[in-house]
Amino acid sequence: MRKAPARPNGVVLAFWLIGNLLLAFILAPLIGLATMQSPGNIARVAAMPDVRLAIGLSLLAAFLTTVWAALLGVPLAYGLARTDFRGKEIVAAIVDLPLAVPHTVAGIALLIVFGRQGWIGGPAGEFLGLRFWGTLAGVVVGMLFVSAPYAVNAARIGFEAVDPRLEKVARTLGMGPWRVLADVTLPLAWRSIMTGLTLTYARAISEFAAVAILAYYPMTAPVKIYELFLQSGLDEASGMALLLLVVSLALFILFRHIARRGDVFAGVGR
Amino acid sequence: MTVAAFAIEAACLTLGRFSLRAIDLALDAGEIMVLLGPNGAGKSVCLEMIAGFHRPTSGRILIHGREVTDFPPERRRVGLVFQNFGLFPHFTVAGNVSLGLHARRRAGRAQARRGVGELLAQFGIAHLSGRYPQDLSPGEKQRVALARALAARPDLFLFDEPFSALDARTRDALRDELKTFLRQSSAPAIFVSHDQTDAALLADRVAIMNRGAILQVGAVPEIFRKPVNAFVAEFTGMENILAGRVLGQCGDLWRVQVADTVLYAQGDDLAGNDASLCIRAEEVGLSVADGEGSPGLHGATNRLAGRVTDTISLGVISRVTVDCGFVLVAYLTNRNMRELGLSPGREVVAEIEAASIHLLRPDAADRIAVSEERQSDGAVPIPQPWRWAAKSRV
Repeated sequence: MRKAPARPNGVVLAFWLIGNLLLAFILAPLIGLATMQSPGNIARVAAMPDVRLAIGLSLLAAFLTTVWAALLGVPLAYGLARTDFRGKEIVAAIVDLPLAVPHTVAGIALLIVFGRQGWIGGPAGEFLGLRFWGTLAGVVVGMLFVSAPYAVNAARIGFEAVDPRLEKVARTLGMGPWRVLADVTLPLAWRSIMTGLTLTYARAISEFAAVAILAYYPMTAPVKIYELFLQSGLDEASGMALLLLVVSLALFILFRHIARRGDVFAGVGR
Repeated sequence: MTVAAFAIEAACLTLGRFSLRAIDLALDAGEIMVLLGPNGAGKSVCLEMIAGFHRPTSGRILIHGREVTDFPPERRRVGLVFQNFGLFPHFTVAGNVSLGLHARRRAGRAQARRGVGELLAQFGIAHLSGRYPQDLSPGEKQRVALARALAARPDLFLFDEPFSALDARTRDALRDELKTFLRQSSAPAIFVSHDQTDAALLADRVAIMNRGAILQVGAVPEIFRKPVNAFVAEFTGMENILAGRVLGQCGDLWRVQVADTVLYAQGDDLAGNDASLCIRAEEVGLSVADGEGSPGLHGATNRLAGRVTDTISLGVISRVTVDCGFVLVAYLTNRNMRELGLSPGREVVAEIEAASIHLLRPDAADRIAVSEERQSDGAVPIPQPWRWAAKSRV
């Protein structure tokens, strides 16, 4: 059922005019980036093997980051949504912390902990052979640190919106707590969780500083763009930038599609 | 000794600052009990304890002869219906019902589909099978909720204010339908409400609850006419609660001084003590003073002279306030009002049978204005300083 469109009033119209300024501000650089390109330049950049490698690595690392954010962040979000305890707001603030830390600082802090001598990096390298400095794992660690808050916060909002009474009814119908989670809570929070994971993926792809400090090599797309900018100038850098934008955009459209399909599987008719 | 279909024995529970105190209830097969109390009385917590969401710190819960005190909700065989009926928005009507069927009986797919079909037909909602809850009317939702609960074959039905979000007419219709359904069921039902109408129209027996304790259990007329304390009297809307002093006995009646008047009442031995006199407004008869018949006791009827101070029409009936040296409220039908021509200033005679006056030991601890308890039901209590203020005042 669609609501009848409200008659626009003066406030709505004025605010739309103002709001369009912001839209223009966001779009203008992107349009500039797109229009300064010659097709030949894009084709040339796209043909460069290390450019393709960097974009591929970014997509892969961001995907791995999103999987980890889901595996670790969704349970945390459920815990935050369903329990009340002293200091809960402090936990929530810790989740938000990466949003407030400059990402260069985040990168240095991660390097200290995940580096060869770090609390985590040391034992991981010694016992698991897992190294973070200059590896794909390092890229994922950098991305996860800065993007996890989006996964946790969106999922938490989704879980909080699920009426606990629905879960209670399900229990009385004979469903155990895990079954209730699978059949009632997760399907109802699905949309929010997917929104959060999409944001996580977006934030992960776009991360530069934390990744560059912890794992400059292997080069992700933002790092490669920075290198092109320093070495070859604006042409190649902006060509690759546009390429990354187009690929990301295509992926987000695909994500939204998957999220909506997930809703249909769960049976929400709207 | 027969086994009660449901029993909760001396169950105590503490949740933060809130606690349930020694809850004792027993229901026979098919019996409907309305758990009535103001917001924050602990009705929902009590219901959730019965359903298995809170574990009592002491006491036992028995459903259909099985002790379930340590069982999780999914093993208790209770059917739970919440406000707005708690249907799963992401399942169709058939999906909602089959969830109950699947979960408890582990039925095969074909068997389940047949079971769902039968249940939907039984409730007259087969045509809604493929619809989603958000497209249903309240009446249809109730039927789906009942069908779903029934699918899991419960031994006890629990209702937590299912009608509180509905308008009065819908509520009346759904209440009738629910009562018909529960009358046919052998499983007893506990219905939580703060609405006396629910109690009057649904209940075989009513339990009045306040501050985590059950104060009185009984049939509706008994609770409404013979409350055990001032809280029950006030909560059930006792219109006249008069402060008096019992002077002595006179035959099988007690002489009670109220203001400058002596009334005769039945009740416990409170000789020489202060007492509250409870008189329901509909038990007060009014007639126009015609100079005949003096005030005092006539047979077993108190007769009082007074003056009308106010009349308010409440629709079907009117509420008349009379000053007899103390304020007395009476309910009259509109027809009576017309015939008597009552208006403020009119001299009247009020008649109250001695048997209609209920003597109560005034118990300050239970004299709590209903409005003071505003904590929302069910939720884990959050610290609320005013709760302590309310307690320290008594």
